[in-house]
Amino acid sequence: MGKPLIHRSPMPGLGLSMGVTLTMLSLVVLLPIGALLWKGANFGISGIWDTVNRERVWAALFLSFRLSLFAALFNLVFGMILAWVLVRYRFAGRRLLDAAVDLPFALPTAVAGIALTALYAPNGALGSLAAEIGWKIAYTQWGIFVALVFVGLPFVTRTVQPVVEEIEAEVEEASATLGASRIYTLRRVVLPMLAPAALTGFALSLARAVGEYGSVIFIAGNIPLKTEIAPLLIVIQLEEFNYDAAAAIGIAMLLISFGMLLVINLIQVWSRRRIGYV
Amino acid sequence: MHIEIDEISKQFGTTAALTPVSLAIPSGALVALLGPSGSGKTTLLRILGGLEFPTSGRVLFDGQDATGLTVQERRAGFVFQSYALFRHMTVFENIAYGLNARPRASRPPKAEIARRVTKLLELIQLPDIGSRYPSQLSGGQRQRVALARALAIEPRMLLLDEPFGALDAKVRKELRQGLRDIHDETGLTTVFVTHDQDEAMELADLVVVMSGSVTGGRIEQIGKPSDIRARPASAFVRDFIGA
Amino acid sequence: MSDASLTKFRSAREETPLARYALIAVAVLGLGVLVAAPLIAVFVEALAQGWLAAVASLGNHDAASAIKLTLLIAGVSVPLNAAFGIAAAWFITKFDFRGKAFLITLIDLPFSVSPVVAGLCIVLMFGTNSLVGGWLVASGYPIVFALPGIVLATMFVTFPFVARELIPVMIEQGRAEEEAALTLGASGWRTFWTVTLPNIRWALLYGVLLCNARAMGEFGAVAVVSGKIRGQTATMPITIEMLYNEYLSVAAFSMAAVLTLLALVTLMLKTALEIRHADALAATHRH
Repeated sequence: MGKPLIHRSPMPGLGLSMGVTLTMLSLVVLLPIGALLWKGANFGISGIWDTVNRERVWAALFLSFRLSLFAALFNLVFGMILAWVLVRYRFAGRRLLDAAVDLPFALPTAVAGIALTALYAPNGALGSLAAEIGWKIAYTQWGIFVALVFVGLPFVTRTVQPVVEEIEAEVEEASATLGASRIYTLRRVVLPMLAPAALTGFALSLARAVGEYGSVIFIAGNIPLKTEIAPLLIVIQLEEFNYDAAAAIGIAMLLISFGMLLVINLIQVWSRRRIGYV
Repeated sequence: MHIEIDEISKQFGTTAALTPVSLAIPSGALVALLGPSGSGKTTLLRILGGLEFPTSGRVLFDGQDATGLTVQERRAGFVFQSYALFRHMTVFENIAYGLNARPRASRPPKAEIARRVTKLLELIQLPDIGSRYPSQLSGGQRQRVALARALAIEPRMLLLDEPFGALDAKVRKELRQGLRDIHDETGLTTVFVTHDQDEAMELADLVVVMSGSVTGGRIEQIGKPSDIRARPASAFVRDFIGA
Repeated sequence: MSDASLTKFRSAREETPLARYALIAVAVLGLGVLVAAPLIAVFVEALAQGWLAAVASLGNHDAASAIKLTLLIAGVSVPLNAAFGIAAAWFITKFDFRGKAFLITLIDLPFSVSPVVAGLCIVLMFGTNSLVGGWLVASGYPIVFALPGIVLATMFVTFPFVARELIPVMIEQGRAEEEAALTLGASGWRTFWTVTLPNIRWALLYGVLLCNARAMGEFGAVAVVSGKIRGQTATMPITIEMLYNEYLSVAAFSMAAVLTLLALVTLMLKTALEIRHADALAATHRH
């Protein structure tokens, strides 16, 4: 006999909790996503391909994924530094710094968007500084990069922090007694221990950046082929009531994001198995 | 190598871990630091290894002041209680770690490193486990790999913190003999920390009995196992060794 | 022992002081430019023409209706998601069934879907030219470009928040206390109210806090489904966009400042929870 679908349990509330969970999950998440996929199925693969296979769409998709990748990479490095500093060092203002890391989670994206624009526009406080060395940030791809870094900032720090806290002192000490310099210890012993968590944070940051809309559209300038992100293209199609095209681009985005997350997950499973966490 | 501990004391903030203690360890000896928890034995071992800095006093290696030497400069083979193996590296990579960490100029060539690792695996009588990860080893195997890793750097002395503490009684007995054999074969000055008086008496040439108090850990008696058994220097020693 | 050797000593787990200061400087400077500066910019821009202008801009009819709408949406969607989170956490942690990992993946799904795509999904499901939507509109219950659509979109993007916080905490706490209550003759509901809820209250509050912040601030998904009808379906973030695009900078930033204050209060409460109830939240920070 195979495993039963649901094991018998003396706990009460099976029907209610299962009912609420599955009903709400279906109504809020699964049916709407199903509607998108249904739309795509009706539109057909060739219809989707014809919609996506246009210069403007490719440019937007490529821009979104490329800049998201750069922003997530930046956050990977900066987030690990932040996690290390917040756990290992004691200095005045550490608590404040720790709380500040979460601001991008708490601040509405539209607010972040107009604030970053005001700041990095050519006449803004930081934008004017950059302009002096001929560096234009807002209304260029740099502006999109800054916004994507902002929204993805907390992920790596928050996933890596608990792992840094749990590194056993003896492992680092062992490395030192074997003659390794501090840099060598960090590179060969500490970094590999942080890698799985950092990769998780990287994936979350990447997923968030790819789909980000609110903080980007204000600072991007939204010039077709240059600074137009993929989610904006969906909004434009919807405003023209072009539902087929919107669905096609939406499905393309879903597929690419899930593909990326799948690859990252596979890397993770492989590395964890190798190290023997399991 | 001859080790001399000269009036070493250690404070952690306001708590005293060690009152000034002095101890001479002859070259090639196998010494046990024996005492209950809080007697400062691990602190003393960590000071020898360069992992702690003494509040006062000096450490001399072969008559030379070594107090200011960094951990890396001490070249002390240190075996930790938890073994602290690098779990993302194979056994081979763990043992080769200290050699690979050397600056390029003094790093042995790859083939030489491989030869030495193979030899060490034979020494610990686990010749076939080089490609395994620490998570795939038993407790006793891990302990021996940690020992081999410490020996790979050609240490000037061997320091072991409760080397058998995490093992069950049967494995413990086997590995005791293993440590004795390795000590006799390498001739390294070896210091190990234990709270188990049987282990200290059976294994060591010289036993240092330590006790703890609010003023910090101190040395109660230094002597050969037979001497300590026959003539305990204080009521504490008599009690502790259960003689 | 010389003093020089004492200053030279560094624990085996420490970087050189120089490296330490450099890393702290990178952290402070990075967060300063990326996080603190935008925060200050919001208030500077809002107060560019003084307090009076800022406050006055919040007083007009459209602004007031946007604030009311946002509060209403959060007031509906956050309790619903809290109820879902509790039910899902109970189902997942108190019972053993096949496909549990898959269910958790499905609950987490909204985190990897763009808010714009989420809005698109709801438009396709309930829009006038969909099967369900057409019928609902004909019966006088429009979803898209109306309040229910905005609530649905908000619920979609905030869907995993509460469940995610509760599941690890409830896994850690196990089932023993509930089992004890049941053997003592307590009813299911009584067990939940008197045993489970007190154990998870801080994690629940934590999840609700984060859920609420996101619900009040959601832009992308709401922008797609709301239709942006001034005074009717324009939430606070949508109103910020409209004001900003009309070059009404003070008005846009004043409303942004209100949401920023909300974010700051959220962060303060969150930090207070983390400090005072660290044990109760420990599990949620380890997953």
